[in-house]
Amino acid sequence: MNKLNGSLLGAALFLTAGPGLTAEKSETLVEHNMLMNHGGGHLMDMEGGMVMGQNKDTLPPGCGRISGDEAITVRAGHKYAKDYPGTMFGFDKHEWRVKPCTRLTVTFINEDHVRHQWMMHGLPKFIYDKGMFHLEMTGPAKITGTLILPAEDKTYLVHCDIAQHMEKGMKAQLIVGKGSAPFPSIPGITDLAIADDYGPKVADSVKITPAAAPAPGATAVNAPSPPASGNNTFLLGLILGAFGMPLAIRYYRRRFEGMAGSQVFEQVLNDLRSTVDKIIGYLTTLIGRVGKK
Amino acid sequence: MLRHSPAILTASLIVTLSTPAVAVFKAPPTVKVEPGQAEPFCNSGAPPEWRKAQVIEGVAVQESRSCNPDNPNDIAAFVKGTNNISMETLMDTSNVAADALTLTNDIDKDGDPDHYVIRLEIMELNGHSPDFPGVVPTFDIAPGIQPSFWVFTPKSRDMSTRSFASAEANPLLRMPSPPIRVEQGDVVWLVVENSHYFPHSIHLHGVDHPFMDHSGEGNDGVGQTSEMDIMPGQSKTYVIRPRHPGTMYYHCHVQPHTHIPMGLAGIFVVEENRPNNWPQVFNVGAGQVRHPSVAVLEKYKQEYDLHYQSVDKELHSIPQSANDVRLVAKKMNQEYDITDSTDDYFLLNGRAFPYTLRESMIVVNPSEKTKIRVLNGHTEHLALHIHGHKATETDYDGVPMNPAAQVTRDVYSMAPAQRLDLALDTTNDGLHSYGSGLWMFHDHTEKAFTTNGMGEGGSISLVAFKDYVEENGTPKSHGMDLKPYFTKEFWERKLPVWQEHMGDGSLGAPAGTMDTKPGINSGNELPPPQAQPAAGTPLAGTAPSPSQGSGGGLFSGLLLGIAAYFLFQNREKVLALIGQIPLLNKPKQ
Repeated sequence: MNKLNGSLLGAALFLTAGPGLTAEKSETLVEHNMLMNHGGGHLMDMEGGMVMGQNKDTLPPGCGRISGDEAITVRAGHKYAKDYPGTMFGFDKHEWRVKPCTRLTVTFINEDHVRHQWMMHGLPKFIYDKGMFHLEMTGPAKITGTLILPAEDKTYLVHCDIAQHMEKGMKAQLIVGKGSAPFPSIPGITDLAIADDYGPKVADSVKITPAAAPAPGATAVNAPSPPASGNNTFLLGLILGAFGMPLAIRYYRRRFEGMAGSQVFEQVLNDLRSTVDKIIGYLTTLIGRVGKK
Repeated sequence: MLRHSPAILTASLIVTLSTPAVAVFKAPPTVKVEPGQAEPFCNSGAPPEWRKAQVIEGVAVQESRSCNPDNPNDIAAFVKGTNNISMETLMDTSNVAADALTLTNDIDKDGDPDHYVIRLEIMELNGHSPDFPGVVPTFDIAPGIQPSFWVFTPKSRDMSTRSFASAEANPLLRMPSPPIRVEQGDVVWLVVENSHYFPHSIHLHGVDHPFMDHSGEGNDGVGQTSEMDIMPGQSKTYVIRPRHPGTMYYHCHVQPHTHIPMGLAGIFVVEENRPNNWPQVFNVGAGQVRHPSVAVLEKYKQEYDLHYQSVDKELHSIPQSANDVRLVAKKMNQEYDITDSTDDYFLLNGRAFPYTLRESMIVVNPSEKTKIRVLNGHTEHLALHIHGHKATETDYDGVPMNPAAQVTRDVYSMAPAQRLDLALDTTNDGLHSYGSGLWMFHDHTEKAFTTNGMGEGGSISLVAFKDYVEENGTPKSHGMDLKPYFTKEFWERKLPVWQEHMGDGSLGAPAGTMDTKPGINSGNELPPPQAQPAAGTPLAGTAPSPSQGSGGGLFSGLLLGIAAYFLFQNREKVLALIGQIPLLNKPKQ
């Protein structure tokens, strides 16, 4: 028994080594082409490959004949989400256009190691069960299905219905003829119906060298540095006010000794102007530096 | 002059009050608040034959007297494996995937398979939609309450919802993550297909597993020590051959302080090895195990899994607050602070009262023994109490207790992550049981029988004797009408709890204090996700208001500092001034 178990564990090794995070190109696609037909266009295999709504020859009403044969290949997986920041899963294309009454063969390639679907809704229910055409399997694998599109101009929703896969990028549309109203939230094609709130823009921090720093008061007046909390600067002001005041009084008393009232006024005005100049100079250098980043 | 003012004030007050009474104040009359539309007790739509004891694909399925019983075809698939049942049975399951569970290879020739390949997916319930102001796929824990959850699920097929027209989750997609059962000594490949948009893993807490598997890959599920997390779209196979049986635990070990409360945790049972023993691998929704293992049936008539969980509504609203996965990650990982959190909802097997009565009642007959496996999945302590009974603690954390040391008591104490096996004996002897009835059982931590602070909610359920339960699982209760609990308005705090209690409205609503028709505006849809308290809100609330600029702080500080300096310089003058204020100096008698 133990010997046999050992071999099973060995086989597990083989299995785990396969679908690892490694080699993207060396992976071989499992081909789901031995599907059992369960009737009504429903095909399935024991590895989880599924085609629903397969229809190669029943003409939808209004189609006198098949207008033409088209084939598309759709690739799916996490790597197709990369062009659309904020999404996690994706298709390589998000919109297809075909003529009414086209016989469309869809080859669906799933490059992830989870289930994905290429699911279409809104087809006539008397031909397509639940009004659906649907390809599904666990990747990395490939599956193919065929349907005949109805005669009217209409835009069909195509998505992966696994929880949050459509919301996080796997949403597309198939436009028959002139199509109808487009669907929202299709990556690269339509906006989200409900936009995300990214909050106020946060500026990058700027390193302040001690030499460039003028009076500490000026740093705090420079509002764009958001992390400085109000409490800390308040405390700083309190300390500056309480302990700086006697120094300031002593300094100015010595300086203004013997001066006339008008002279004192002029001097104070001068001091004020130079302080403002210094602050403006500091701000310009700071803005220049942020701009460079 | 000032000295006189209090006297004048008092005098004028007395004059005002003593003016001739034209009318004595009369409190507003009681008005009736119209309760909203109550759901029926049972609306599961389950075919009655699902509740019956039956044999499918050679699998004995016990009776389930529950409003929302498991689909017996699911039980057959979870016992025999999806590879050993007919395609017809597989199609009749609740969309179990064809490769969800593969059982092969009777290595020891004892009549049961010894190699299990179990496939799990990871699903989000009550998640965000960028297309409409609601959540999808929905899973209500109580009327109108839809926090988002992440769960491990048996691998499924087809749609996530019951149909294209419905937003309700497929029955396999639900809280809690399903209890998993395997047989002692079997080779188990636990394949996790990460179908969710965040990294995840499985840590097999208490289940015998090697730190590294034979291929040299980590097997402990801990990103910091054993192997990299499973990325979205990737899968990982955990390989185990558990030697020790017992009630264990599995959970995600990526950011576990949020991923465990979000729902990525479940019971893992290693059943004792017996010949021809086919454990029921998944017990979706926990509760009754409709096909108990051979070893359990040797000692017990039936078996129940109880998984207790708690929910902080702030945490569970984060996935609903944005669509961009990076925003959700930021709010989850950097903004949410579990050390400032409080739990709002308390769940038994994924639901709060009254929904617990639909699927998590323990239905018993007199004089029989029931095995109960309990997992404390709370963030805090659990104090389980069963009315009318004293059950016996047989195992703690999957290890049997010495029979001489087994304790029979009525409050079972459990730390977070602990498991407890109880033997519930319904022999009416005044000790183990007080006889037939509807006996409540609940976590005796007071807040755990509320839902967002509204009682009675939380994880309450019943030990129900069969003569007190209808065929369809409705308990024959003898107390108050349970209808208000089945309305959304009750949980929205819009109904006076005791309105109907005294018949004469003595404890109803005073007119003008409550909306008397709250049901009119409470539609079926949730408020748009944006309108719900976003995750950032509580955090932003505690921080100083953003309008208070840093420059303003410095300036006012500077002014106050200068004022303080002058105050200090002139303290003698100020003190003297204060001394002159008459009210502060008590007049000498």
